[in-house]
Amino acid sequence: MNVEPIWQADVQQRVFRELVEAFSRPGDIREIGDCIDGAAAQRAVLATLMDGEMTLADPHGQIEPADWPLLQAKPESVERARYIVADGHRAPDFQPMLGSLESPEFGATILVGIDGVGEGALTLELEGPGVNGRRTLCLAGLHPDWLVRRADWVGSFPLGVDLLFSDARCLVALPRTTHIRISGKAF
Amino acid sequence: MNAMSHNQAGNAYNFGFLDEYAKKEVRRAILKAIAIPGYQVPYASREMPMGRGFGTGGLQLTLSLIGPNEVVKVIDQGSDDSVNAVNLRRFIEMTCPGVSTTTATAECTLIQSRHRIPELPLTARQILVLQVPYPDPLVVVEPSEDKRKTMHGEADYSRLLVKLYEDIVKFGEITISHRYPTRINGHYVIDPSPIPRWDVPKLNDSAALILFGAGREKKIYAVPPHTKAEPLAFSDVPFRVEDFRDEQGRRRACARCGCVDSFLDEFVTDSGSKTYQCSDSDWCDMQLSKARQTQGEPA
Ligand SMILES: [Zn+2]
Repeated sequence: MNVEPIWQADVQQRVFRELVEAFSRPGDIREIGDCIDGAAAQRAVLATLMDGEMTLADPHGQIEPADWPLLQAKPESVERARYIVADGHRAPDFQPMLGSLESPEFGATILVGIDGVGEGALTLELEGPGVNGRRTLCLAGLHPDWLVRRADWVGSFPLGVDLLFSDARCLVALPRTTHIRISGKAF
Repeated sequence: MNAMSHNQAGNAYNFGFLDEYAKKEVRRAILKAIAIPGYQVPYASREMPMGRGFGTGGLQLTLSLIGPNEVVKVIDQGSDDSVNAVNLRRFIEMTCPGVSTTTATAECTLIQSRHRIPELPLTARQILVLQVPYPDPLVVVEPSEDKRKTMHGEADYSRLLVKLYEDIVKFGEITISHRYPTRINGHYVIDPSPIPRWDVPKLNDSAALILFGAGREKKIYAVPPHTKAEPLAFSDVPFRVEDFRDEQGRRRACARCGCVDSFLDEFVTDSGSKTYQCSDSDWCDMQLSKARQTQGEPA
């Protein structure tokens, strides 16, 4: 049986360690293209994190029907899902779970597919846990409404959402604690 | 097909002992713990083939993180050679083929530790996993977990501060020697595990990710790199690390390597006098080898 690398345990371990680095160091671009052998980075992340215990929403139809049985995740509405897959070109026209004061981990993890991580005209200035001082991050193909909505969603810590942007080969995370400014303006 | 185990060559165990479902559960909790610094993320803990208190919480983190190219160091109260450390290291070697182990802090990529953070500053390419017996610092003031969760969420630590202050009034100083309550990123207060006060400042603005695993309580929490970690203190009674000065006010030195800026363990010699030695055995070895080199002796 020829098993695609993203479903293999050793590849998932490597992808997971890149996720650990990405969430530990917001704005740090993690390249996983080589270890996932041509699969899209977002698919590899889903394969790494999903199983029958997790709920997953796909409001923009990003997931191939054939992948659902392999992921084993329970399909859920976008308002109630622990994980959400979204198309970053489109405005986020939904309200994700933000968690509660008692259980902030129920705030959704949103995987946002975009054209380019680390390139493009949109330059974010980042500060917060995991950022040594301040750093910048460029993103290509992200609808501007995302940053406005995110500011709303993460406005009352510890509630919030954790974003993971990806292109074909790279990942970058913006957990709920990261402060974003664009040309000096806070988001 | 997803989460299939990679059990080649008929090994008795999956790589990393835990099955892939158990790893996914721990992995998702780790990522949320990093995203919400200091928050205790609950997770479904698997039974491990060793008693709780043996570091099962830390071990589940280690086994969910570990890859075949890992270089692992296991320390127990600063020592790589204690029975606990040796047993955990053997378990990791047995269940994770290809992984190498070391006692050298400078060489490892993953450290599992109980009661100490190494003296050598950690780097961005390292992850420290600390074993935690009691994860919730609010237990001393609030028995109900539901109420504690609300207090944590609201960052309401007024009762904990009052308790600390009562100690100060009673003893004239903060008497907590281990598990010093520490506020992470200005919100959650954590129990940083039974590390001495000496190690608490190492949590602040650390280059390495620090993860905490409590097996019995089934909680995972994190101090991400470059994150503020402040020991709770009062303006009139500031936080202080242990004082290793003798009666004459001189800093005690390690009897073995001569180091005067490490955390010291106290021993009573056969003759009944007290002697002091670095608690971190790898640090002590490094200092000893440096001292020998400067004296022109073989290292
Ligand atoms: Zn020494």
